[in-house]
Amino acid sequence: MVTTFETLNREKSDQELWDGIRNGDERAFTIAFDRYHSTLYNYGCKLSPSSATVEDAVQDVFIDIWRLRKNLTSDVSSIKFYLYRALRRRINIGHERFPVTEEISMLDDLEITGNDTNSETVFIEGESKSIMEKRIRGLIARLPERQVEALTLRYFDDFNIEEIAQIMGVNDKSVRNFIYKALTSLRHNREYIISPALIFCILWFS
Amino acid sequence: MKFAPYTLTELIRNDDFISWVRHPDAESEARWQQFLLEYPEKTKVVEDARGYVNLLAEDTGKSKPTIEQTNKMWRVVESHLHEENVEDVQQPKIISAWKWLRIAASIALVLGITSVSYWYLNRQTEIASVIGPQVAVTENGLIEKFNDTGKPMTVLLADGSSVVLQPNGKLSFSSKINTKKREVNLTGKAFFEIVKDPQRPFLVYTDGIATKVLGTSFLVDAPENGSEINVEVKTGKVSVFALNKNASLSEREEAEKPELKGIILSRDQKIAFSRVSGKPVKLPETSLEIANVADISTQLFVFDETPMSEVFKALESAYNIKIIYNESLISNCPLNATLIGQPFTEKLTVICAALDAQFEIKDNQVTITGNGCR
Repeated sequence: MVTTFETLNREKSDQELWDGIRNGDERAFTIAFDRYHSTLYNYGCKLSPSSATVEDAVQDVFIDIWRLRKNLTSDVSSIKFYLYRALRRRINIGHERFPVTEEISMLDDLEITGNDTNSETVFIEGESKSIMEKRIRGLIARLPERQVEALTLRYFDDFNIEEIAQIMGVNDKSVRNFIYKALTSLRHNREYIISPALIFCILWFS
Repeated sequence: MKFAPYTLTELIRNDDFISWVRHPDAESEARWQQFLLEYPEKTKVVEDARGYVNLLAEDTGKSKPTIEQTNKMWRVVESHLHEENVEDVQQPKIISAWKWLRIAASIALVLGITSVSYWYLNRQTEIASVIGPQVAVTENGLIEKFNDTGKPMTVLLADGSSVVLQPNGKLSFSSKINTKKREVNLTGKAFFEIVKDPQRPFLVYTDGIATKVLGTSFLVDAPENGSEINVEVKTGKVSVFALNKNASLSEREEAEKPELKGIILSRDQKIAFSRVSGKPVKLPETSLEIANVADISTQLFVFDETPMSEVFKALESAYNIKIIYNESLISNCPLNATLIGQPFTEKLTVICAALDAQFEIKDNQVTITGNGCR
């Protein structure tokens, strides 16, 4: 993951920036703000509908890092990861929200099978770009916010499953389930009716 | 890597596939080209999946801050870069800044003064002068102050802290000295300037909420029939938390510990609590600006080569207390001091130390005696 960020800004690696901040280097701190405040803000917007709250939280995360710089741990593989976790904690405490653990763990028992036979996919092949865009927009709009959060961390922010699990405070399996749930609308009916399309899919891919 | 014949959805969820689409490197490029060679019929699915992954990234990454927002955030962060934090409150500051309108011109709090004035104040053992007439002692030993005048009234507490009580405000406190805590009850609006004493937290009880500080200045507005209780911090840190009138003993004891708990407010932050639910309510952003200019809670008390006559005028109007001094000797003496957040008597102590003068508080007036400028 770390290398991903380095390709974006080759001058200083995350570890260099982190060490700089710990030693009170304001330039390193400024670069870190410049590099991450925007995506951090984007993530914050998935956690709170109020842009003022998000702005304040982003500020506070950076202020805290600087304020507590002497007590920061030396090995941080990714500043971004550290910042995201701090932001989430801050916004959720501010909202007196309950951790999402319960919400996610409900899905824990769900056995995810390798194939998609008992689920409907939201993605359809061979569509034009504009229809695809419409589909994704519709999907994001109707998903619960926790699922949008997981998708954001996965697709936009490039965190891996383990990192997302730590940011959201749940286990890896829950995150996988969460994303699976977001991308497929599961059928509650056990005696599912196999639609012609599904039969086609099974035949096609088996 | 599992080279199973992927479906569209499987590809979209596949870790390896996502990182190839988002950040291709030589290795992943080679691997997926190989996959397409083996399964040429998958070309269309891979293309579609790639499109969806990119769209998902694009769509979840749309909430970018505007340039104005970025600048605003950076200004606030930057203003904290050179702030040396001496307080070791490690708890997260839970409520973030609503408004950081004013950055105090100087944080030069004259720390040494605290000890001097502390020595001075500790000589007074009983509840000190309560300036103004409206005092009543209730049967349970509570001293009650009610401001039925049309002007602010300053109440001096035994520990040296001062409270500027606004008209119709009521403040009550015990006549006995408590070694573990300092506490007052408030109805109405008052501005507090509290002497630092980490061992004895200062608690302000208003209907349903408690405000706890270790030494700082802040405004509490708990109108008798209002729906909200407002707390605004001027200097230092305070914590605000719900505390019912019928709170159990253990809850009360918990509240009296020196640790700050609940919602922590810092300089220039404010919060409103709903009286009904005891929950915080965010304030409209404009409310801070319409504050009365003459009000003590908006004054910075920063003096830079300021003549004493003006310094005294500022204090007289802020605390509504008459200050008597020899004008021909003292009026033109210059003062350099930042007195924000200090209780009234501490301010006087600082000024008198600068003048080499003494002060006496009696009958709602202060008398300064000195021999002119140093």
